[in-house]
Amino acid sequence: MKTLIEATHLKFNYGQKSVLKDISFRVNSGEIIGLIGENGAGKTTLLNILLGLYPTTGDVVLFGKQPGSKVGKAHIGSMLQTDMVIQGVTVSELLAEIASCYETSFSPEQLIKELHLTTFAKERLTNLSGGQLRQVTFAIALIGNPDLLFLDEPTVGMDVQARQSFWHRIRLLKQQGKTIVITSHYLNEIQEVADRILVMKNGQFIFQGSFNDLQNQHQRVEIVFQTERASDVFKVLPHVTEINKSDGNIHIRSTDGDATLYALMKNFKHLHQITVTRESLETIFVQLTNQEVK
Amino acid sequence: MKHLMSQLSFDGRRLILRNASFLFFSLLMPAGFYLLFTRVMIVGTTAEMQVFNVTYMGSMIVYSGLISAAFSVASILKHDRDQGFVNLLNLTPRGLTTYYVSIALWSLVMTTLAIGVIGGLAMGVNHVSLSGGQWLGVLGVSLFGQIPLLIMGAMMAFIQHTETLGLVSNLVTFPMAIVSGLWWSISLLPDWLQQIGKVMPAYFTNSLLEKVTTGGEIELNSVIGIVLWSLILFATMILISKLTHKWGVKVGRA
Repeated sequence: MKTLIEATHLKFNYGQKSVLKDISFRVNSGEIIGLIGENGAGKTTLLNILLGLYPTTGDVVLFGKQPGSKVGKAHIGSMLQTDMVIQGVTVSELLAEIASCYETSFSPEQLIKELHLTTFAKERLTNLSGGQLRQVTFAIALIGNPDLLFLDEPTVGMDVQARQSFWHRIRLLKQQGKTIVITSHYLNEIQEVADRILVMKNGQFIFQGSFNDLQNQHQRVEIVFQTERASDVFKVLPHVTEINKSDGNIHIRSTDGDATLYALMKNFKHLHQITVTRESLETIFVQLTNQEVK
Repeated sequence: MKHLMSQLSFDGRRLILRNASFLFFSLLMPAGFYLLFTRVMIVGTTAEMQVFNVTYMGSMIVYSGLISAAFSVASILKHDRDQGFVNLLNLTPRGLTTYYVSIALWSLVMTTLAIGVIGGLAMGVNHVSLSGGQWLGVLGVSLFGQIPLLIMGAMMAFIQHTETLGLVSNLVTFPMAIVSGLWWSISLLPDWLQQIGKVMPAYFTNSLLEKVTTGGEIELNSVIGIVLWSLILFATMILISKLTHKWGVKVGRA
């Protein structure tokens, strides 16, 4: 698999404040990378460096070139956090203008249809809602038919339909072999599409790997069942951190699902409607980011 | 060329056709001033008024260029930067050169439009009559004199806050118009103020226009003055651009 981005020992400071602290990573062609972290963790700064908007110490190579190279620009689409509200310009005019900046771009009309922007394509940008502007910003990122996409908080402000349409498009882009680096606070959406997740805290990566790897590292599970036995009986189970009873169900949280389930099976005949759920990315993320960075 | 044509078409629609404030401030206001001072507030003999009608036309063309630069160009560049349009274009293979060339060309078109409107009023209402060569001279000098003002507008666009930009635009435009002798004759000002006025870029352009429209000899000093202002302002703009970017990166606002 071809490496599209290779970053080694990246560092960046805002004045005295160290925002990126010696981070290294690699992104391969066709991967979807979920870049997650709390506000101020350094995600947007990292994207700005990869786009060539910020200088850095350390080595970064995209498509074999430095960030901001003409070769790179021809293959990269970006959706920054700020939506443009340029006065006196309609959606279709802006898309046509940005399309003209690329040698091989999509037809604006075609993209407007595919992304369901037809109802407001003739509207001026100043008349659009926040969610509609976000959709236009996504269309701008796609118009140059890029091989690599940087999407910074892409679904903020989008309504449910627009978000579903957005993630559908991301899956289509993945099928087409596009590489996508995406930051979002909607972690359940990231967990659905990302091949790898990079978790940032205080300018460092505290995890790099697949969601499966992350779940395996954090063997936490929630076991829910119905039983005629008192909930206190289950307190003796190994690795149990929490037991609750609600709606006639017993909820057990465990830090080692396998061990707890093995012990629980001794009571199997007294248990009904058992479900075992591994923890979501959101729950693991909260636990991860609450721990101190080593 | 294809890129430039596309950018020109995009910018022309938003900056000229759909920009009411440009029409008001850069065209209607100087035109209104021209009519006010030449038709309502009349002083002097008929012969003096004939000369005044011509020279004041030049002054109002320069004034229009000053307003275009300090208000329109500065606010357009700032708006585009604040809205992320400059960053977006910078991230495309086309880059930013075409954008800046397009803005500069449209600014010169604004000046040409001002010549058309104010010159049309001068001919139609005040019966000003110039030869074809003189009109071409007016166009050439106005565009040449617009260069330092345009760079000044571009520099002002680096101001962070919109309110501050508005204040600075006013503080630059109106005092410069007065001390350069655009509103009334520079000879009415105190000596020390005249000394300042006579080194202003708008004064040099106005002087050149006066020579062109009254058949006088072109002063080399004015030409050199405009060139020097252009060079100094351009160098300052590059420096400010670099410092602003450096500062923006430092505080996360680049």
